[in-house]
Amino acid sequence: MKKPLPEFSIAGVDAILAQFGDRMDEQLPFYLAKVRERLLDKYKGIIREVVPAYTTLLVYYEPRAIRLYDLEQCVEQAAAEVAWPISMSNAGKLVEVPVCYGGDFGPELTRVAAQAKLSEAQVIELHSEVEYQVAALGFAPGFAYLSGLHEKLITPRLETPRKKVPAGSLGIAGAQTAVYPFAGPGGWNLIGRAAMRWFNPRPELASDAMTPVEVGDRVRFKPVSAETLNALLRCSEEN
Amino acid sequence: MKTGLLVIKPGIHAVVQDQGRNGYQHLGVTPGGPADAMAANWANRLLGNAPGTALIEITAGGTEFECQTQSMISITGGDLNLTLNGKPQIPWRSFWVRQGDRLKFGYPRHGFRAYVSVQGGFQLPQTLGSCATVLRDGLGGLHGDGERLRKHDFLPCAHLTEEGIARQIPELYLPDYNAPLSLQLIPGYQQHQFSKASWQTLWDNEYELLPESDSMGARLSGPALSIPEGNLLSEGVCYGAVQVPGNGQPIVLLQQRQTLGGYPKLGAILPLSGYELAQRAPGTKVRFQPINITNAQQQMRRYLRFFGL
Repeated sequence: MKKPLPEFSIAGVDAILAQFGDRMDEQLPFYLAKVRERLLDKYKGIIREVVPAYTTLLVYYEPRAIRLYDLEQCVEQAAAEVAWPISMSNAGKLVEVPVCYGGDFGPELTRVAAQAKLSEAQVIELHSEVEYQVAALGFAPGFAYLSGLHEKLITPRLETPRKKVPAGSLGIAGAQTAVYPFAGPGGWNLIGRAAMRWFNPRPELASDAMTPVEVGDRVRFKPVSAETLNALLRCSEEN
Repeated sequence: MKTGLLVIKPGIHAVVQDQGRNGYQHLGVTPGGPADAMAANWANRLLGNAPGTALIEITAGGTEFECQTQSMISITGGDLNLTLNGKPQIPWRSFWVRQGDRLKFGYPRHGFRAYVSVQGGFQLPQTLGSCATVLRDGLGGLHGDGERLRKHDFLPCAHLTEEGIARQIPELYLPDYNAPLSLQLIPGYQQHQFSKASWQTLWDNEYELLPESDSMGARLSGPALSIPEGNLLSEGVCYGAVQVPGNGQPIVLLQQRQTLGGYPKLGAILPLSGYELAQRAPGTKVRFQPINITNAQQQMRRYLRFFGL
């Protein structure tokens, strides 16, 4: 893919949306993360927050410090300064997430397998052999939208969303796969349970960062037994 | 001995708020903050508090406090039939409260949300730099768990030795929450993907505020807008963004919005319109009116300068 140039639209009174092309590319999340860092670094006091997601950056700015036209120039400049293509060998950190697939933890593993015309073991293999990329963080704190799902595993959302999905549930919705950081309602197909804390609201008190992954990072799921998962869950509760 | 306000009755929905949790939207953390930031700013200004000082937001009323301190207190926002020791009080002013005084909010007379601040603010724990309560994320609040105020909760604040000067807000500045409300919309986001007919429908009709609304989003109901075809990837949503899901009914995203949204958006309303919207009870009819970005920024500039923000 060629280096995408940003196109701008107004989002609100103090935010613009910079759109970098209209399709996903594996270089894009990492590239956008770099552009975001650069903007926050270079324009302190002018650019307040930058929210990356898939192909866009939402740029919150201080309208009293800069005119809209000049702001667009700044974003173009920062985008030009970040190299493309990205060298993918060292793009983002790789985080391994232990998952117990199927059973009570993943009631829809059978559904996903049935529609893919595969065995459950094959689904687990296809799902765990891929390095996913964090394309966006949002919806809830630490909720990581992962791209890279094998197309055979694409499964529509449940017709009736669950009232309560347990925290740590690994799900598939359409071409997306993600782990629910918190318990809550949701319509994703649950295929397993992950042992990992996705959001730490008190980074000052613990050794782990606020979120284990950021946009551009990579995730790989490692199948583990129910015993191992339970042990890991107990261990993380004690911390 | 600790001094502060004791919650006798929590009412329908009383929470603590401050300026909000800024700088974490890229991790999925919503900013939060008061639904009517204008009224919250007035509450602090009446007491000489810094903007963004922690205060209480009361939605729809029913909340009662006992003062276990003496302090200057301010009440702004909606008129929720407040009484002090049984005597009716009008909002938009500051006054002196003593040990044992009872502050009781009834049900809304005008407006929908009231703000209570004390001189020097409440001393509350912060999560990610803010005490703003966000129920969905389990962040902020008196106990740091995102919960609303409960019976027997105690909100610590200073004990003043000397009575301050009672102030009230000049009538000129008092908002009229019963006036018809036009939401000033800055067209943006996917504005060009909506048909001319959809825009005409939006400008020409009234939309009713639904009871399912909250400080995450105001859900409106009226003539349906036809939405652009195609699948949109989720993207960052700013305050006031008006998204239109499959049923064609607009949702205005407010302080506690999700950080990302995947529905097509018409643009965003002026924050000042959003603050007014927060004071309308479900069932209120509103309209949309276009405003260009220059005028919108000018209005916000005036507001921010006024409150020293």
